Amino acid sequence: MTAIVSIGTYLPTWGTAQGRVPGPDEDAVTLAVDAGRMALTDVDASTVRRVVFVSRDLPLFEGGNGAPLLAGLGLGEDIEIVEQIGGAPAVLDAITGAADGTLVVAADLAPAGAAAAMVGAEGTQITGLGRVVRSLPIQTRGRDGLVRNYQDPRLESVVGHASAVERLALADKPDVVAGTSVKGAAAFVDGKPPVLPVTGASSAIFALAALTELGTGGTVLALEQASASAAHVADAPVVHRDEVPFQDPLRLTETPGPDIAISLAAYERAFESKVRWDAGACDACGTLALPPRARCLSCGSESGWSYAPLPRSGEVYSGVTIHVPVPGLPTPYSLAIVSLDGVDVRALVKVTGVAAGTTEIGDRGTMVLRRVAVRSGVPDYSYALRPDAALEGGTR
Amino acid sequence: MRRVAVVGAGMTQFKEHFDKGIKELIPEAVAEMEASVDKGFERSQIEAAWFGELTTSDGFPSGILADTLGLLDIPVTRVENACATGNDAVRNATFAVASGAYDVVLVVGADKVRESSARSTFWEWGALTRDMAWDFPLGLVAPANFALHAARYLHESPATREHMAKVAVKNHRHALTNPKAQMRFEITVDQVLNAPTVVAPFGLYDCTPQSDGAAALLVVSEDVVDRYTDKPVWVRGVGLGMDRVMHQHKSDLTTFPPTVRAAKAAYSMAGIEASDIDVAEVHDCFTAVELISYEDLGFVERFGAADFVDKDETTFEGSLPVNLSGGLKAKGHPPGATGVSQCVELFEQLRGDAHNQLDDPRYGLAHNIGGPTAVAAVTVLSSIKA
Repeated sequence: MTAIVSIGTYLPTWGTAQGRVPGPDEDAVTLAVDAGRMALTDVDASTVRRVVFVSRDLPLFEGGNGAPLLAGLGLGEDIEIVEQIGGAPAVLDAITGAADGTLVVAADLAPAGAAAAMVGAEGTQITGLGRVVRSLPIQTRGRDGLVRNYQDPRLESVVGHASAVERLALADKPDVVAGTSVKGAAAFVDGKPPVLPVTGASSAIFALAALTELGTGGTVLALEQASASAAHVADAPVVHRDEVPFQDPLRLTETPGPDIAISLAAYERAFESKVRWDAGACDACGTLALPPRARCLSCGSESGWSYAPLPRSGEVYSGVTIHVPVPGLPTPYSLAIVSLDGVDVRALVKVTGVAAGTTEIGDRGTMVLRRVAVRSGVPDYSYALRPDAALEGGTR
Repeated sequence: MRRVAVVGAGMTQFKEHFDKGIKELIPEAVAEMEASVDKGFERSQIEAAWFGELTTSDGFPSGILADTLGLLDIPVTRVENACATGNDAVRNATFAVASGAYDVVLVVGADKVRESSARSTFWEWGALTRDMAWDFPLGLVAPANFALHAARYLHESPATREHMAKVAVKNHRHALTNPKAQMRFEITVDQVLNAPTVVAPFGLYDCTPQSDGAAALLVVSEDVVDRYTDKPVWVRGVGLGMDRVMHQHKSDLTTFPPTVRAAKAAYSMAGIEASDIDVAEVHDCFTAVELISYEDLGFVERFGAADFVDKDETTFEGSLPVNLSGGLKAKGHPPGATGVSQCVELFEQLRGDAHNQLDDPRYGLAHNIGGPTAVAAVTVLSSIKA
């Protein structure tokens, strides 16, 4: 038997009633980290033995998304990670077929959102009810990255979805449908189907999470073009949501220019500290330094240091907003020096989740993993300040 | 140590010299310096040279200086110390002469900022000043570097954006009579406050322009000074101060400790106090930096800059005129040349030849702060030998 220990969800701040859009500093990896950390809220991280990351929007096809995902989730570099291209049915299959200790994370960019399910021995029982894998490539995206759409929603609905569901031959009607619009879902459920914020890979987990609103277990159906998968869940799962009301997407200026340079040697040396949010603690006196450094800021010892986790909340000591166009970075953007809570460490970071220029000295917030820049093709991940004001959200 | 004097000073105009490269600007500044030496001098008398250049346009700086000036028989040392480059070149030359090693040396500062496209300048300069893994990708552009200080300073001190604006208005007004200045036009406080924002809290008129230019000084020992002039300007004090490089490691952003350290060293060497200074060229790459520097240089008490500005103490008519050249703000800021050009301005002031001439000033101070606000240089010049 497979059980869902907990579910975590994350939606970017920005969007419209039609769906969320990622911020300029978000990609599938940062979305997955945000959702994954929510799923692990009450989970002992040492119980995670495997991560399955499902998306059709993986940032890199070569170069690796696994290490920043594991580091962002606070998991060890010895954890097995599967980077899988797939949609909602693939995610449902990944959960129903998962061994205990598997964290299934899914992320989408359009509409944007991410969700994660921790699979273990204790939790809500989930049972696969079958799948069909068929071909009706209404929308395609190949190695060139270009999206081509056949533009025939009726064909997708009749020959794709309806035919796939018929072949599944479910005993009961589904309660929640992932991978399609509310209108598409309404064809398969009794009454009004729960509204999901996404239609891609993560919609399968958002569908499981929607059972908590129904207050019961039930059947979840996941669709993608002509393929489908279904599962039955015994009870409503435990869900931790990070879903603020949406705000109008930022209007940013993109300035073309030369590639932003990177030193991969420096990238590699800084990675652990930057992506795990660890300081270097002086082996002699314990003073924390960010970034870690050879000579202790306090006692002057040069005898070594060890990684130590940093607090993930703090207060703005100073901050500025860059309005002038900067090649390669969407403007305007805000930077802040944050005094981290309970330690004598300040961090210079970007501000995320609020419009530029709205954060002031004394404001409080939390540190979240973001893609700070893309440097010569390399996503450069580090922490950004998400002011508490971002949690209020909601322009309408 | 021997006493050291400046006996010649010259500079090019500061502006966008699209028609001239570094190899044209250097000879132009040196020729003007040579013409300023009262009793004349032969270039062959120069025994060593120090060249302050922050960037490296057209390649190897020391070689370019030797080559473009025909100084192939003397040692040339390039000095690079961020925006403190110019005054640090003066400092190195001063000690070389004071030590007795040389009697006659040349100091040149130059930079060609407008040699690369405005777009590529952001990242080129970022790479000069930022930690490649940590701060570089954040887009901590040069104005943001100083704005982090200014934002906290405005938060803690009585100063407002209006006080910053008054600095810009003052320095533009001072530049009106300076033939070497890049921005010879007056502006108003309203214009400064309503200008497009570059990096909050800095608007366009709070920022120095991008400039090209060169400046040169002839520095000699007391043993030979009479050969060149009867009106030498003495290098009374030089100081250089450092600080932690990353902003996150600076405990108090409302002050620049490098300036405090550099000023302490320069005043101590000169045997004077801040209150002795009659005229100053203060680093005003951004308006708020001039305000903070009044305090760090000891002109006013901590957080006293706003009141000092409100009382117009640093205008031409005030008790301590600052940036009579127009400052970096209106004269321009080719980093390597900037500190040297400050000394050119003070050389003229202390000899009674300046465009904005004060009534018999005796002590002049030049100041730069630069890099990620981690280095400052202060030079004290005087018409009085000791």
